[in-house]
Amino acid sequence: MDTLLEVKDLTKTYPGFKLDHVSFTVPKGCIMGLIGANGAGKSTTIKGILGLLRPEEGRAAFWGQTLTEAPALKEDIGVVFDGLNFYETLTPAKVGNILRAAYRQWDDGLYKQYIQRFDLPLDKEIKGLSKGMKAKLGITAALAHRPRFLILDEATSGLDPVMRDDMLDVFLEFVQDEEHGILMSSHITTDLEKVADYITFIHEGKVLFTRPKDELRYQWGIVRCGAAVFGRMDPAGMLAWRKEAYQYDVLVPDKEAARRRYKDAVVDDATIDDILLLYVKGERSK
Amino acid sequence: MKSLLLKDLYNISYNAKAMLLIMVIMTAAVVPTAGAIPQMAGFTILWAMMEVTTFTFDETSGWTAYALVLPLRRSDIVRAKFVVLAIFCTVGVLLGLAVSGAASFLMGGRLPEENGPLVLLASVPVIWAIAFAMGSTSIPLAFRFGAENARILIVVAFVVPMVIFVGLAGALSMAGVTLSNGQAIALFCASPLAALAWGALMYRVACGVFAKAEC
Repeated sequence: MDTLLEVKDLTKTYPGFKLDHVSFTVPKGCIMGLIGANGAGKSTTIKGILGLLRPEEGRAAFWGQTLTEAPALKEDIGVVFDGLNFYETLTPAKVGNILRAAYRQWDDGLYKQYIQRFDLPLDKEIKGLSKGMKAKLGITAALAHRPRFLILDEATSGLDPVMRDDMLDVFLEFVQDEEHGILMSSHITTDLEKVADYITFIHEGKVLFTRPKDELRYQWGIVRCGAAVFGRMDPAGMLAWRKEAYQYDVLVPDKEAARRRYKDAVVDDATIDDILLLYVKGERSK
Repeated sequence: MKSLLLKDLYNISYNAKAMLLIMVIMTAAVVPTAGAIPQMAGFTILWAMMEVTTFTFDETSGWTAYALVLPLRRSDIVRAKFVVLAIFCTVGVLLGLAVSGAASFLMGGRLPEENGPLVLLASVPVIWAIAFAMGSTSIPLAFRFGAENARILIVVAFVVPMVIFVGLAGALSMAGVTLSNGQAIALFCASPLAALAWGALMYRVACGVFAKAEC
């Protein structure tokens, strides 16, 4: 089976918010980036996938089975939440002891390798570690039982660019054998631009799209034009648009075609941030 | 489940110095005036209440959500809390016995007769049972309402077993049942079994509560 994770119609309602039939798949050897504004439903989706909440509808299957059907699959899944989930008086050595007792697949050697690689002190209390060190410890803990799938919920937030780059290297190594995969939610879209293979965009509880990252980066574009050009544009070819102070910014799915067609407009590459902003703050085609 | 026990024991070991200090103060304050048994009971109940503190640690660190992604069942998480409680009650009552026994011995004949070694030993299972029953009641409360609310509701955790006990004793008395010394001793000895039965009931309640919990 080439699919590591299949999320199908995941639905959960809270007062004032609904996660609405969220569906996407993560293929083997891939990193799926989950993007969206605060409160869009990224963390709720991850909780639903992990069985931390009870969806009204839908399911999340790892290697074809849900965690309820096959709880043993948790041995093959590593999770890093935003923030370290151990009490601050513990040390990395004690965290290792706790997790060694939890996982049959725990690899002490690998744990110590990552501890050394990330320059983490084994016997220093967590409250004495920097935010970056805590994030590294969380990732170390998630990797040391040799999972086949990683779920990272804002795992790199709060890290400086150098530390984040170190982490991204680790994630790229992780998926290199084409059997592993990562689902990675992050506000730092530049990280996803570096490592993700696919992007799933969640907005107000709904998946707006799942696309290969390269399609977004190399095919999608932003037409920056005046009212006259905007008036001539075919609405069917506009994904989203926004009126700025002096121009319209229009997200289009084929920037080369737009360059050929609208010669008196500027057509820029679209970053994931641009796409997110235009979808969230702009207007969309029906 | 070993991982859950280790986590709670590591976390609570941070409070060990404070607990020892409290024990010394309690011994100095309580044993000369009220005797050794109230000191043992107070100290054991204090240890049992440390169970709720483990929930505070879990809430502060967001542990429960993390525990649910470990290869553990929800019932393992609940069971571990009861095992930790049993450990705390045992440590509490044994430390209380040792310290209050030593204090009684050092104070010689200046203490009431009921503080004799046999009476102290006989009170161990009863005190353990009371502390375990109280702690057991606090666990579903902590799962349902959170640690801080459970601390307030702990009064309920104390009152419920006591009301049941007093009610049962009253019913027996009204029925004209009086206990001989031998029967009373047998009841004392059976009290841990009653506490374990209460604990089993509370375990089922806690499992029911935690099965519905979302993290």
